[in-house]
Amino acid sequence: MLLPPTDSTIVARRAEIVAALKVIVPDGVVADPSGLATFDADALSAYHQTPLVCVLPSDRHQVSEILKYAGEHGVPIVPRGAGTSLSGGALPREDGILIGMGRMKRIIEIDYENGCVVVEPGVTNLNITKAVEANGFYYAPDPSSQVACTIGGNVAENSGGLHCLKYGLTTNNLLGVTMVLPGGEIVTLGGKCGAQGGLDILGLVTGSEGLLGVVVEVVVKILRKPPVTRTLLAAFNSVPAAGACVAAIIADGVVPAAMEFMDRRAAEAIEDYNAPGYPKGAEGILIIDADGVEADVSHAVARVTAIVAECGGTTVEATDEKQRARIWSGRKAAFAAMGRLAPDMLCMDGSIPRGALPLVMVEMEKLSQQYGLGFCNVFHAGDGNLHPLIIFDVMKEGEFERAEAFGADILRLCVKVGGVLTGEHGVGIEKRDLMTDMFTTADLEQQGRVKCAFDTQGLFNPGKVFPTLSACVEQGHIHVHGAQLPHPHLPRY
Amino acid sequence: MSRIDNPAQVVEFVRTAHESRSPFEIVSGGTRRAVGKPLGDLPLLDVSSLSGIVKYEPEELILTAAPATPLTEIHAVLATKGQRLGFDPADWSQLLGSNGVATLGGAASCDASGSGRLRHGPARDSLLGFQAVNGLGETFRGGSKVVKNVTGFDLPKLICGAYGTLSVLTELTFRVYPRPQFFAVLCLSDVTPEVGFAHLRKIAHSALEPAGLAYLPGSMMADVGEGAALIKLEGASQPLEEKIAMAHGLLGNAAARFDGDPFSVIGCGEKFADIAGDIWRVMIAPSDAPRVAKELNAKHWLGDLAGGLLWLAAPPSDAARIRAIAAVAQGQAMLLRASPESRGRLGLFAPQQPALAALNRAVKAAFDPLSLFNPGRL
Repeated sequence: MLLPPTDSTIVARRAEIVAALKVIVPDGVVADPSGLATFDADALSAYHQTPLVCVLPSDRHQVSEILKYAGEHGVPIVPRGAGTSLSGGALPREDGILIGMGRMKRIIEIDYENGCVVVEPGVTNLNITKAVEANGFYYAPDPSSQVACTIGGNVAENSGGLHCLKYGLTTNNLLGVTMVLPGGEIVTLGGKCGAQGGLDILGLVTGSEGLLGVVVEVVVKILRKPPVTRTLLAAFNSVPAAGACVAAIIADGVVPAAMEFMDRRAAEAIEDYNAPGYPKGAEGILIIDADGVEADVSHAVARVTAIVAECGGTTVEATDEKQRARIWSGRKAAFAAMGRLAPDMLCMDGSIPRGALPLVMVEMEKLSQQYGLGFCNVFHAGDGNLHPLIIFDVMKEGEFERAEAFGADILRLCVKVGGVLTGEHGVGIEKRDLMTDMFTTADLEQQGRVKCAFDTQGLFNPGKVFPTLSACVEQGHIHVHGAQLPHPHLPRY
Repeated sequence: MSRIDNPAQVVEFVRTAHESRSPFEIVSGGTRRAVGKPLGDLPLLDVSSLSGIVKYEPEELILTAAPATPLTEIHAVLATKGQRLGFDPADWSQLLGSNGVATLGGAASCDASGSGRLRHGPARDSLLGFQAVNGLGETFRGGSKVVKNVTGFDLPKLICGAYGTLSVLTELTFRVYPRPQFFAVLCLSDVTPEVGFAHLRKIAHSALEPAGLAYLPGSMMADVGEGAALIKLEGASQPLEEKIAMAHGLLGNAAARFDGDPFSVIGCGEKFADIAGDIWRVMIAPSDAPRVAKELNAKHWLGDLAGGLLWLAAPPSDAARIRAIAAVAQGQAMLLRASPESRGRLGLFAPQQPALAALNRAVKAAFDPLSLFNPGRL
């Protein structure tokens, strides 16, 4: 296992720790083996670890008391929302308290006058939109797991989705949070006024993957639902042509609500799987959404159609909501469709400058031959976020190891062309040991000192994000067996 | 004053300062030195030579530049490709009576985000990455040069609004945005603050994606009676006309077209340049604007960001009252222009709750343990 070694003295104090937590949260301590089994992994299911104990607080004061106890007794803490992390951010520790935030799921206030909603961290992403959609509003970030993932988890991971290019990630849609710091102090960062009166600690905490504290309240912005959305399907006879078209659309000043790329292998697998009607024989396909007021959308659709033609592609527009849904259902079923080609796959999550796409595609092809493993590409083209899917068979000796090495090389390639290890899934445990490929020692030490400013004892989510000397192998990625992801009911795109 | 010419010299300078434990003030264009607590007679590190655009990739929506690059140069280069910075950087030179050159690094460090931040957010929403030298004299980077990245801590957020207290910046990478071809400003005249702000919020929460929403009382604008609600919309020509029509619908057809762009002046605080007194920026929940404006009871004031930001001029004796009103409204009152004595006594912001203040100090120390950079300014 990759986590720092278990502290057996803490494990030996288990009964005492369980008893202390029961005093703080009498009805919310899970300590029996079958109960704990529920919490032994997140969506990076290649890794399992039964936690020392799981505690389910109902309010911020209980969270504060738990963190105070953990600090005083030197017990590690692993925060968990709905456990949908694809990078192992909520993987428990044998010597740590898993603090599950799922009970804190009240919507505290809906404030249309100020365009915001105040919620507890356990509210799911989609439930925020559901609470306001009757009034024509929605919450913009839409990770594929939005039906299950919690807003607290979104804050921890700085979650994205299909619409980041236009609407930003979680961090761009937050006005404030209240959090409990290691040691139990409760602080409020920002709020409806959107100002903090000091350093932007809110920005730092967002995406900090549970290393800096536990969020107990969140103020999110809500937006007016765009009155019009139109969807185009563009087909190209080469990947570079599709890539050039993406760059041309951006350079033209159009900001699509979503712009997705898939290569021929992905498109054909999807077509075989649920027949969304993708053009046959195209080497690269783009799905492009334009949203906004009618006139803006018409303008964007006209520009995109013209630019696609200039780039040698052809466009088809969805004629109605049903066809729009079909086009998107294909893209959203990409993982499942690929799962039919081979028993197992790994999903990567690098981000690159869009201009590097043709080069990266060529290099990935070479790596594929070198490792003797197939792959296909789906890609949030608008913002350069690649999701290569590596297909393999875990039953064949050495394939899992080869797939992991292939994946690590893809991420190194992303870094080499000026990109990053993760665009939206987080570092977690999955990409921790690749951090040295992206950051220098000085970069990582600087981040480490920031961590220490919050967590002097190093108790919060130890072993995640930052490489440690005890690391032994490069691991991780989303491991899918028999086309079944963890949380099989969740779409993944 | 020490003048450096390249990042390597910054490292050398900071290492020397670290060894001798000598704090210093970081200066480039110098237009914002009169903001925050005065630093006294500290030695100056002049970084104005760290200037120039390093790389501009319009099709990637990315611009990388050295921190002392003048904003005018950035604007000019972006305009050639029909693009702009998202945070609409505000030049405070006129307000603060400075003759210097406003720079990219200065605007980001002071989070000088203008009226246009309504659309794309303040500076922190578009700073993707940076290179800097920390208080140990080490070169490090935060963030990246791609638009979507969640790898490691989001240090660029901290840099914006840190007033140069965390590091000496040597390079900045911003996401940039398309500049719509046309804009129009609508003016709804002779409305009370209650009515004016209500209209602005209506537009803010429409699908019109406004680029400016401000209320100016009659004391700040001629020929508008009690006051005016100003609405800036953007788009290509045909879409803009349709948006204007939609806005007219929402405003009850009472608004008139306004010539020019008043928001460039509003966002920089230039309306207050010739008005005596301390100048405050009070951030509040937008719906509180009419009530808080009334309580503040200033002759010269205006409300930007649909009411989320109130600017006002007030005599120095009003400071405690203004801070108290902001605190009750769960807002933040920033003292932007005042005498050195007032700034030293009152600070840029009101004191934070003790746990948060301690956390701010700890984060500062994580970058600059000896407090060498602009000590005490924030």
